[in-house]
Amino acid sequence: MPCINRFSQALALGIGLGLFASGATWAEDRTLTIYTYDSFVADWGPGPKVKEAFEKQCGDCTVNFLALQGGVDILQRLRLEGESTEADIVLGLDMNLMAEARALDLLVPHEADLTPLNLPIDWDDETFLPYDWGHFAFVYDSEALPNPPSSFAELLEAPEDLKVIISDPRTSVPGLGLLLWIKHLYGDEAGEAWQQLNRHVLTVASGWSQAYFSLFMNGEAPMVLSYSTSPAYHMAMEDTDRYQAAEFEEGHYLQVETAAITKAAEDPQLAREFMDFILTEDFQRHIPLGNVMYPAIDLGDELPEVFDRLIEPEGFTFSPEEVQENRRAWIREWLNASSR
Amino acid sequence: MAQRQQPLNRYALSRLPLWAGLAAFVAVIGLGLGSFIALLWQAPALQVAMLWQEPYLAGVLRFTFWQAGLSTLLALGLGIPVALALARRPRFPGRGLLLRAMELSLVIPSLIALFGLVAVHGRRGWAAPLWEWLTGSPSGYLYGLSGIVLAHVFYNLPLAARLMLQELERSPAVHWRLVAQLGLSRFAIWRTLEWPAIRRLLPRLAALIFTLCFTSFAIVMTLGGGPNSSTLEVALYQALKFDNDLALAALLALTQLVICLGLWSLAIAQGGAPSLIAGDSQAALFTKWRRRDAQGISWLTDGLSIGGLALLLLPPLAAVVLAGLSGLPDILTQPRLWPATLRSLVMALGAGIGAVLLALALLGGSGWLRARGRRFLGGVIEGSGQLILVLPALVMGTGLFLLLRPRLGGGFEGYALVVLVNAFMALPFAMQVLRGALLELPLAQRRVAEQLDIHGWPRFRWLLWPRLRRPLGLALAYAMTLSLGDFSVIALFGSPAAPTLPMLLYQELGGYRWQSAAATALVLLICVVAVFGLVSALTRRSPRYLWKRRPEPAHASM
Repeated sequence: MPCINRFSQALALGIGLGLFASGATWAEDRTLTIYTYDSFVADWGPGPKVKEAFEKQCGDCTVNFLALQGGVDILQRLRLEGESTEADIVLGLDMNLMAEARALDLLVPHEADLTPLNLPIDWDDETFLPYDWGHFAFVYDSEALPNPPSSFAELLEAPEDLKVIISDPRTSVPGLGLLLWIKHLYGDEAGEAWQQLNRHVLTVASGWSQAYFSLFMNGEAPMVLSYSTSPAYHMAMEDTDRYQAAEFEEGHYLQVETAAITKAAEDPQLAREFMDFILTEDFQRHIPLGNVMYPAIDLGDELPEVFDRLIEPEGFTFSPEEVQENRRAWIREWLNASSR
Repeated sequence: MAQRQQPLNRYALSRLPLWAGLAAFVAVIGLGLGSFIALLWQAPALQVAMLWQEPYLAGVLRFTFWQAGLSTLLALGLGIPVALALARRPRFPGRGLLLRAMELSLVIPSLIALFGLVAVHGRRGWAAPLWEWLTGSPSGYLYGLSGIVLAHVFYNLPLAARLMLQELERSPAVHWRLVAQLGLSRFAIWRTLEWPAIRRLLPRLAALIFTLCFTSFAIVMTLGGGPNSSTLEVALYQALKFDNDLALAALLALTQLVICLGLWSLAIAQGGAPSLIAGDSQAALFTKWRRRDAQGISWLTDGLSIGGLALLLLPPLAAVVLAGLSGLPDILTQPRLWPATLRSLVMALGAGIGAVLLALALLGGSGWLRARGRRFLGGVIEGSGQLILVLPALVMGTGLFLLLRPRLGGGFEGYALVVLVNAFMALPFAMQVLRGALLELPLAQRRVAEQLDIHGWPRFRWLLWPRLRRPLGLALAYAMTLSLGDFSVIALFGSPAAPTLPMLLYQELGGYRWQSAAATALVLLICVVAVFGLVSALTRRSPRYLWKRRPEPAHASM
């Protein structure tokens, strides 16, 4: 049980060195500290394999992950720690958080070669390097809902007994994604669209886990707000086609997850090496089933077969700056449309 | 020389509780208020008027009050008949089990409770066909205000009923004998015995339940149906995490603090200091006396009350167990589950011991002050323990960050902080369990001890320890189980490579591993039950003197 050993070593070491002085001893060899989110570093997630592959490549370095709850928490942690942050790299900020992260003035250009990138949108950002992407989508249970709506408009006009579960844009990333999706589609009429959608909303969960696990998997509603890639997991690992994503004609809001180097990076050279590594197959091959998202480069035959059976909708986004500027106002608009 | 040294020593020793209490007080205020003040200090000026000028916030505040008030009323109102019924029926098959389940309801992690509630009460839940048969319309009561209240009643009614039952069972055995001898009617018993006992408890119990409902977050949001049902904590979460609006977060936290502490001080001013946590049951004491009101129609009404409670409490737990069983095969292929369990238990033990030590110190200090006529100071020291109950974990975590930065890494530092914060969060509950035992040391015994000059270790060993052993065990169990289920604090400081059980649960959910997640939830639930069972079994050890093993009623009533 290596985990126990590692824990007890850390415990002994920590006691030996005192609570707040333990960091120094790690710096002997080349260490890369990466802030990310927890499902990335889970045993089955991409984290452990990425660590192994990169450590083999760099020779004498060590990759340390520190996982937080999600992109929002990574940003918040960075903000609180400021220039004294332990992070050399932050991995997991999505496009909607980019502008706010950039405004902190804590990140430096990645200098990676962007040519291998294979995203549905053009990318030329100097600071943020994409490592995976996907669309927000409504996942439906084909046994409960054999004929899902084929467009957002159809969903809004469906009979009222078609219920969906969404998440709150104030507390969850997919919730914010839906808010932006509707805003992008309906613009000034987003408020009315929300009112129409609200007739179908069974409940607004506080987070994706509550929505998907506690509600959708209990059969509470035939549709749940999630990602277009979610069915890949069900198809590949659970061997069932039961859960699919509904493809909407108008297109889907795109989520791109990115990595960036911090100013505080102790070994900027190593951090850059890692950024280059992100767009190689050794990193990307762990994304599709590990993180259940699309890889950021063309994996060719290595892309699992189930990904060919996912929907391939049009994708669109607001620019990160637009999101930063308007997020509060748009949430206000949603609150007003939903509180009557 | 030797002669002089002794009194000095004793003098120092007799002051020990004061110093310990003051140290704990400084620690609690330092961590609790300190983290909060750090937030305030970082934030630009507060705009208090926003609370009522901003319609969104005013709405949130109104709703928070409304749902918490309603939940409290229902939990108390329904708890009374349940407690009375349980007191009237000192033995029936499964009573002990039901009581244990009632004690546990406080510490079930919200994600697990949510899963169980949805499985039973949801639109496709077990109860849905019954609802449809009864009302003719599909079941949809789990969402909206009714769902929130149902969830809160699920959490708090068992707690309320259990504590009321404890108060009832504490009434001296003579009273129950008199009731039997006089053949009092149901109403007369209510007026002379039951209501006075419950009444003493109500203010503090109401304050506790209101606080718990006022600050609840995940359940209210998910079952609330939409933004109409946001609590203050939701607004706080958004302000702090998404908007980084420290001023608004501090304002909201301050509002919560003022409202809940105001309520607490009202409740404490109402007098009466019953213990708010289930302690020792003395049911055996009054089984001997047959009550006239236990026959006839009350057989039916009691059956309804107790059956209703069982139907509220047990099916959601059964749903979690059933779902977990289907994931059990996954456990064998889950190499992280057992290390996570061990880690959780070790951390819970640390937090539990910490909470108990802090509680002892605070109570000891306040007792010392009270014994010397400094009631107000004593009250302040004791009251500081309740502070944590109303301070949002997010605020405490963020404040700590601001205080401790620049150095606050993951790994061991993170875990140490989690243990520390968990210990603080369990403190109010540990204090509730211990305060009765510690403060109610009979005056006569105290006087004898003073006269015989028994101080320090012997005083602790022979006067306090026998009375403390059992409450200590319970306090430890509560603190440990609360910390076992904690996700909010661990999520701020934890390290993912070495997750605790709740962290593992969320990792599995994030990775679509539903079966493993269900199994992890079951293991977590089992840990909670096991810790509770084990600690109370250990401290229930038979007394030292054989002749005391079967206490006579007169003996135990003291």
